[in-house]
Amino acid sequence: MIHIALAGGALLIFIGIWGMLTKKNIIRIIIGFSLFDTGLHVVLVGLGYLKNRTAPIVDADLPAKAASSQSVDPVPQAIVLTAIVIGLAVTSVLLVFALKLYQSKNTLDINKLRDNTND
Amino acid sequence: MINPIYIVAIGLGTAFSLGLLRKLGKEFSFWVTIFALGAMAFISGHWLSAFLSHQITSTVITTAGGKAPFVIVFNMGMTEALFSFMVTMGAVFSGFYLHDRLIESGPSAMAVLLAGTMGLNGIILTGDIFNLFVFMEISAIATAGLVLLVSDFKALQAGFKFMLASGIISGLLLLGIIFLYNSTGTLNISELHSKAGVILKSGGVATYLITIALLLELKPFPANGWGVDLYEGAPSGVSAFIASSSATAAFFVFLKVLPLGGDISLRIAAAAGISTFVFSNLMALSYKNTSRLLGYSSIGQLGLLVGIAGLSKHLGDKTLMIILTLLGTHYLAKAGLFWLSGIVKNPNTDEWRSLRKSPVLFAFFGVFIFALLGFPPFPSFFGKWELIMGLVATKMYWWAGAILLGTMFEGIYLFRWFSRALKLQNNDTATPAVTIYSILPVVFFGFFLFYAGYYTSTFVPALRVMCLAPLLFILLLGLLDFLPAFLKNIISLAGVTAYIVYLWPHIQGNTFKIVFAGIFLGGAILALIAGFYRRGKHMGFYPMTMLMFLGLGILVDASNLLELFYGWELMTIGSYFLLIRGERSLPHGLSYLLFSLGGSLAMLFGFALAHASSGSVDLSALNHIRIMPALAYSLMLAGFMTKTASLGLHIWLPGAHGEAVADIHFMASAILLKAGVFGIILVLGGMGNTQPYAQKILFVLGWIGALTALIGNIGAAFQESAKYLLAWSSIGQLGYIVFGLASMTHLGWLAAYGYTITHFLYKGILFLLIGGVAFRVGTADMYKMGGLIKRMPFSFFAVLIAIITLAGIPPLVGFTGKWLVYNMILSKHLFYQGVVIIISGVIAFLYLFRLIHVIFLGQLKDRNRKVKEVYVWLLIPAYLMLTAIFALSMFPDMMLARLGRMLTPSFPEGALVWDGFTASSRYGTFNLQIIMAVIGATFAAVFLWLVFANRKAQKVKQFNIFYSGEAPSRPELTHYGYNFFAHYRKAVGFMATPLVTRFWDQLSQGLHGLSSYGRAIYTGNAQSYLYHIVAFVVVVYLLSAGGIS
Amino acid sequence: MNFDPMKIPWSLLGLVIVFTIGMFIRGIVPKITARAGMRIGIRFYQPWIDLIKHFSIQTSITHGVMFYLGPVFRLTGGVSMILFMPLIYGSWYFSNFAFAGDMVLFLYMMFFGTLGMALGAGESGHPYSAIGVSRGLAQVTVAEIPLVLALLSVAAQHNTLSITEIVAAQQGGISHWTMVTNPVATMAGMLALLGSMMNSPFNVVLAPQEIPVGPPTEYHGTFLGIMNTNRSIFPVAKVVFFMNIFFGGATNWGILILKSFIIYMWPVFVGLVFPRFRVDQSIRWFLKVPMLLGILAVALI
Repeated sequence: MIHIALAGGALLIFIGIWGMLTKKNIIRIIIGFSLFDTGLHVVLVGLGYLKNRTAPIVDADLPAKAASSQSVDPVPQAIVLTAIVIGLAVTSVLLVFALKLYQSKNTLDINKLRDNTND
Repeated sequence: MINPIYIVAIGLGTAFSLGLLRKLGKEFSFWVTIFALGAMAFISGHWLSAFLSHQITSTVITTAGGKAPFVIVFNMGMTEALFSFMVTMGAVFSGFYLHDRLIESGPSAMAVLLAGTMGLNGIILTGDIFNLFVFMEISAIATAGLVLLVSDFKALQAGFKFMLASGIISGLLLLGIIFLYNSTGTLNISELHSKAGVILKSGGVATYLITIALLLELKPFPANGWGVDLYEGAPSGVSAFIASSSATAAFFVFLKVLPLGGDISLRIAAAAGISTFVFSNLMALSYKNTSRLLGYSSIGQLGLLVGIAGLSKHLGDKTLMIILTLLGTHYLAKAGLFWLSGIVKNPNTDEWRSLRKSPVLFAFFGVFIFALLGFPPFPSFFGKWELIMGLVATKMYWWAGAILLGTMFEGIYLFRWFSRALKLQNNDTATPAVTIYSILPVVFFGFFLFYAGYYTSTFVPALRVMCLAPLLFILLLGLLDFLPAFLKNIISLAGVTAYIVYLWPHIQGNTFKIVFAGIFLGGAILALIAGFYRRGKHMGFYPMTMLMFLGLGILVDASNLLELFYGWELMTIGSYFLLIRGERSLPHGLSYLLFSLGGSLAMLFGFALAHASSGSVDLSALNHIRIMPALAYSLMLAGFMTKTASLGLHIWLPGAHGEAVADIHFMASAILLKAGVFGIILVLGGMGNTQPYAQKILFVLGWIGALTALIGNIGAAFQESAKYLLAWSSIGQLGYIVFGLASMTHLGWLAAYGYTITHFLYKGILFLLIGGVAFRVGTADMYKMGGLIKRMPFSFFAVLIAIITLAGIPPLVGFTGKWLVYNMILSKHLFYQGVVIIISGVIAFLYLFRLIHVIFLGQLKDRNRKVKEVYVWLLIPAYLMLTAIFALSMFPDMMLARLGRMLTPSFPEGALVWDGFTASSRYGTFNLQIIMAVIGATFAAVFLWLVFANRKAQKVKQFNIFYSGEAPSRPELTHYGYNFFAHYRKAVGFMATPLVTRFWDQLSQGLHGLSSYGRAIYTGNAQSYLYHIVAFVVVVYLLSAGGIS
Repeated sequence: MNFDPMKIPWSLLGLVIVFTIGMFIRGIVPKITARAGMRIGIRFYQPWIDLIKHFSIQTSITHGVMFYLGPVFRLTGGVSMILFMPLIYGSWYFSNFAFAGDMVLFLYMMFFGTLGMALGAGESGHPYSAIGVSRGLAQVTVAEIPLVLALLSVAAQHNTLSITEIVAAQQGGISHWTMVTNPVATMAGMLALLGSMMNSPFNVVLAPQEIPVGPPTEYHGTFLGIMNTNRSIFPVAKVVFFMNIFFGGATNWGILILKSFIIYMWPVFVGLVFPRFRVDQSIRWFLKVPMLLGILAVALI
């Protein structure tokens, strides 16, 4: 199970990077980034998973004392929540740029969206 | 103490509440923002001052009673407080500077600034590596938001690239963090540090990912295209914020996390950092866009800092000091420059000439540039010194060399930019529009740079010379620049006199120091007397003159290498500003500066080798260097020879001196060049002549001296401009001195000292008076003059005596120099070099005769019939020096016997024997008094006879000459002056081929070609930049794979 | 060595003798060159007549102070060269003030008069004067190269710069002369001598046959008289110098006259055979064989 998660995450990461490096449409590049990000999150959760343990939610079924021995590590799960939020923010900023770039040049082709005035 | 969590609280709280305060107006929101930033800065400043006064120690602050990563944990120590303070102050001033844009964009932009600053503070303070990721993302998003303040395409595409790049980078960071957690079970940075052993075993990839991600944040070469574009595309206030605040925070966290990766990370950091420094600066050479230049420079500086962090094991406990001085200077100067670029608006380097219309800002421009390149009195000077000393002491020669090379590249484009801005015509440009918002941050950071320099110097025990009071005096003089020139002249004279009074007890009894102090400071007095001829205000002249003389004074006063270098660099700055004052001095001033920079870097390396082999920086460290002595001495000699303008390093001199006006020419030639002689004497004194390497160096040096004399004198013979002629002549004369010193004999040194003194006197006369004549006539082209003896008899007489002295014709004191050279040549059997030297002396007749004939003799031109005698203020110092020449001619023993006594301990063999006024060596004798008596008596007898026989002689008019029965109608027809030695040029003109100039030109072209070639990788395409990043990660990993578990 | 006032009259006597020798040589040499060219030539006492004529011309003009001083510099230079030269070896009376200086003094004293007169001629404002000076200076810079090399070679050979000591070292027969002991240096020196004796092929400086080019163009009357006086002293001084350095010096006036006459004739004969060089040609010439000989002379020490 954990291996599937890790492998899937890694696959997603590579697909994302591949998308970012090869696609010419910046929306697709941003989608690539999203895939990359999602892959990261899957890897994150996968690494925190411990076999035969329950969710780290302290309630009637899982007393606080037993939490450390019966639940999975809560830290990666906490992290992944934050990371997802941040990924969302980054993606939205990227999309804002994409929008503005499209407004200014009327294209989404990355090759046409560069500044050639460097001198 | 105020809990630092309030920094975050204030930042976030204000950012959110700005949305509520919308109704109170944008101006109000702006001030709330500034106030909030100020409050944040106050908190960290408060901590900093407490740390500095040793009231508290580092503490860990937790919040909400929980554990990281669920809650925020802050570490607060001295460095955290300092960096947090720097970051926030940068935000305060950048925010202040961005006033107009922030008002335009409204409170949301202000909120972004606040959030960004908060994020940067978080990066610095957090004790938890995951929170680090969070804060980094916050500040990245905020930065992207700030870039959006302008909505032009350039900024947009830069922002997009930045966002994409930082997305990938933080993904890598996150991956690294989770791996690290997986292997260690903690995210707390201090705990991680304590588990370094575990990490090394099982967390190799994790630390690699973290290190490389943080490194990528700092934009290493070549994966930094997005970074350069960001600097270029962002509005200048934002770029300032990125260069100062963001970069500082990013560097801090890199510094903090670096040790986790162990040695392999250090090596990666060192290699990536230093190569970034070298290549960024190389790339920058071919650009003219200031934002881009500053971007490259920022990236380069950060690379240097990363490299230093990587080399920290070699630098030991000096690392922090080096990092803080360099980072601090970069922080202040780069922010200032970006702010200035916002004021100038036009991104072309040449357009900065418009900045001259507000002199205060332009002065700060200069301050920032010189500070960036590590000149005193700014903090980076000390950092650079310690860095090179430390690296060389631990045998990291290549690293030190690479750093010096990078600094040289940086100097080329920064100085070119500055020089062009300083000298290009700016009549057609508009005065830059400044507001209080744009000017205040610049002024504040500029002044703070001085204070930081002073503050740093208090930690440098080796700096013992008095320089604070004179520097303050110079600053005061700069503030009084609105006064008329003669008042400033009087003040300056008083200053020099005071310095002499201070210096005298230090040099009393030391003939060597007295000679040079006499030339430097006595020369200063004479130059300032001459300065009274100036009318008007002569803005900027006096502070720089005083700076140069202070540098020279420190040189004499120096008791160790640091002080020597300090004085040397001060002198370089001052003299550059003097030399560039000439009308067409732009290229020459620049090449002077670049040669000086290259020379001082070479010298620095040499000093470092001296320090490494003796363990101290005392002047005695120069004696018998053990580590790579040949290299050390050669580098030092090369450094000093940039000032003596020896062959190969001389090409800056003719132009720089030839375009200077009278008293500046005097200072530059008669006085300044002797600083190089001073240095060469020190180095050769330390080197001795017993070692085999020393003999090789001396052999080369002797030939350099001889050929310099030859080329200098031949070059002088072919000049049309009197000033260029004198400039070339100086090159030649300095060649004699170098030759004399290289002989390492008693007589050679005696001759060199004698030349040093007499060259000061006779060249001083020539520079002042020929400069004065050129000023009166309105041109320095000799063939446009002629017959001026009738208008300027006093000048003529002084010039005549000076020329006789220079030519070495008896009975004046110049003859002793020639005599000593002959004897030295015989005693060392240096025939071949010797003949070159002697013939150079004869060739000197060519230009000397031309100088006096074409200017003073021949036909007086119509337009010069009314010119007046040279200013009396120029004649006074000239006649003072003339008196000295006569005194030395009457009593040459006064000079030579005393110098001989000084030299005898070092060179006991072959000293002159004085019997009354007769001096004898192993080979010959001379008695200048008898010679003078015989010549004088003969002259008087012949003269009286002629007066008697010719008593009826009467003066005739100008055209009354034997001219085939005709009277020439115009003086131009009969004044032979242009291309005076045409036949000589035909025969030996090939000697004057500017081969050396061509060499340097081609070197420069090659460098620029290399730089343009490198530009090919910066395509401007976001996707290629992503490739670079990914490839960088992979390649560095592969390169270092051997070391990672 | 201290200054003895009794030296003064003896030195002046020596000077007068040298001057007389010079006047006679200047009378005889044109005669010889004329005969070589199938002409009759001047009377040998013609220089004396000229001198008297020049000095007796009363009305004269001047172009200014430096113009006035030019001939003074010139003659002072020539006379001083004699006064610092040991004329007769071993004679206290005719060793003059040689103790005040050595070879170096002599070499630089040569320029005293040259430069002074050049300046005086310059003030006249005549372009020919300046052209002459420019040519002369250019030529002397290269003619000096073999000379300096040769003199350094001789000085190194005898380990002294003192003319008196060099002469002393050559006593005891012709086999001790530098000419024999250091032939290469002698050759270099004698070739260098050609460049400074104002004879063809190196006389473009004065160009005496054509228009009156050269420094003295504007000088006349007493001025010219002084300069002509110098022309009888200065070349002899040079010749005596060469005699002392290369040809064993002289122990009495007879030897001195003989040797200096022979040395004097060397450039004269060369001048009769060879046509004139332009300045750039003469410069190149001196940079070839004479300089190589000079280098060889030094290398052989």
